[in-house]
Amino acid sequence: MENAMKVTGLRKVFNQHTAIEDVSFNVKRGEIFGLLGPSGSGKTTTIKILTGELLQTSGDVKVLDFDIAFFKTPDFKSRIGILSDNSSLYDRLTVYDNLKLFCKLYDAPLEQIDVMLEEVNLKDARNKAVSKLSKGMKQRVLLAKALIHKPDLVFLDEPTSALDPGNIAHIHRGLQKLNEAGTTIFITTHDMEEATKLCDRVAFLDKGRIQELGNPNALRYKYSTHAFHVETFDDKRLVIENERENADEIKELIATGKVKSIQSDNPTLGQIFLKITGKELV
Amino acid sequence: MHTQRIGAIFEKDLKDFMKNMMLLMMPIAPILLSIMYSRLGDGEEIPISMLYIIVGVTFSAVTSSSMMTMMAEENEKKTLRGLMLSPASFMDIIIGKSLVVALITAVSLAISLFLMGIEPFLSAQAIIGLVLLFLFFLFLGIGIGLFAKSIASTSAYIMPVMFLFGFTPMIEFLALGEDSIAIKVADAFPIMQLINMHDTNSWVPIGVVALWTIGAALFTYICFKKERTDD
Ligand SMILES: Nc1ncnc2c1ncn2[C@@H]1O[C@H](COP(=O)(O)OP(=O)(O)OP(=O)(O)O)[C@@H](O)[C@H]1O
Ligand SMILES: [Mg+2]
Repeated sequence: MENAMKVTGLRKVFNQHTAIEDVSFNVKRGEIFGLLGPSGSGKTTTIKILTGELLQTSGDVKVLDFDIAFFKTPDFKSRIGILSDNSSLYDRLTVYDNLKLFCKLYDAPLEQIDVMLEEVNLKDARNKAVSKLSKGMKQRVLLAKALIHKPDLVFLDEPTSALDPGNIAHIHRGLQKLNEAGTTIFITTHDMEEATKLCDRVAFLDKGRIQELGNPNALRYKYSTHAFHVETFDDKRLVIENERENADEIKELIATGKVKSIQSDNPTLGQIFLKITGKELV
Repeated sequence: MHTQRIGAIFEKDLKDFMKNMMLLMMPIAPILLSIMYSRLGDGEEIPISMLYIIVGVTFSAVTSSSMMTMMAEENEKKTLRGLMLSPASFMDIIIGKSLVVALITAVSLAISLFLMGIEPFLSAQAIIGLVLLFLFFLFLGIGIGLFAKSIASTSAYIMPVMFLFGFTPMIEFLALGEDSIAIKVADAFPIMQLINMHDTNSWVPIGVVALWTIGAALFTYICFKKERTDD
């Protein structure tokens, strides 16, 4: 099985409002796949369909070789992990008791609790009531909960939205490690840096359709003008096309010691998104 | 159904119950009431209808009320979603919670009845009656819990359950006269049937209460179908 997911012509209409029009993509086994799109573009809706929480209006979905008819079975549910956009925990119970519940529901060994707490950097909060945690700490407990049964495929709906940079970096390392161990990761995010750094491939979702799909660096190359941006010591900014006949001009600039900096044009994913859809990705 | 998952829900809900001040007050209410009644009676035998008022208070204020509150809280705090996405079935979740409610109800009712005089309940017939009545109130609690979206809204639902089914014997205090329609209707209600059972020793009241329980189960089933099919 090469594909972890196969989505064809997915469409979802909520009483007359079309949330997604026609979405198709495959996610390969073992990859980190990012679904990017502005607020309201249908990212959460797509995840809900892929995890069996919502029924699509039309289109075909296959996840881990399971047909949508089997999405409600314990067999399927125990092979996927979900961090949804507004999941929550039992406030009065401790972090440990919350994770213990899910360990038992997913039939995972209880030793996993401490392993996961270490993983999300929360060992010290083990016996604290969830109501006493900060938003970022809760988010990390939710992440531990999503991963506690070692799923083959995880869905992460904006997993780092409430976290500070230190914890984001920590979580990113954890996700990369998880991925190296073979877990397929499907992630939605607004954070372009996160997508560029983590994802093997990203899909841009807008107007209910996938507008572009590819490896982040390949996309940056594809949408690059390939020009050089040169800044000189007398504060001039030059844009020089990457053409043979411009070689002498660049050589001259360097030879005369005028170059302060020189960069090739490489748009960020956010700039590419803006270029394709005319929308900011925030 | 899956015993380990039911056990996990039971353990979680029992711990959560013990840490929830609002829920903890519920089983204490009938106990306090029993202490008051048993003081008032000074040594005289307490009438059966009084004992059933305690039973009614326990089943409405503890059984129905805590069941719907627990379910409404899962809805309100969005924790139900996490459970539904897990391998646990909706049945596992309901059974786990029901067992917690059964345990708390049993403890609260046993203490109350010990204080008031438990002798009238020490027969197979009376115990069957109590079990059926418990299931009746439990189903009402589950049914309402299925559509109650917030804890605040449950207090509106618990009132009619309490006054209609929990406090039915109190209709005597309204001095309506034997022939009043209200009294005749109330006589068919489950608690009144069980009070009559103690006078007549007939099994007919058990049958009537069983019908009420089946009705409540049907109500729960309809609520379930309505809530679980439209997303
Ligand atoms: N249950 C629902 N009923 C009706 N409309 C809905 C429902 N869920 C989502 N929608 C609509 O579908 C569209 C897509 O919503 P969705 O939550 O999937 O967006 P999103 O990409 O996840 O946004 P965000 O980045 O803000 O999380 C929105 O217009 C939303 O209003
Ligand atoms: Mg969303």
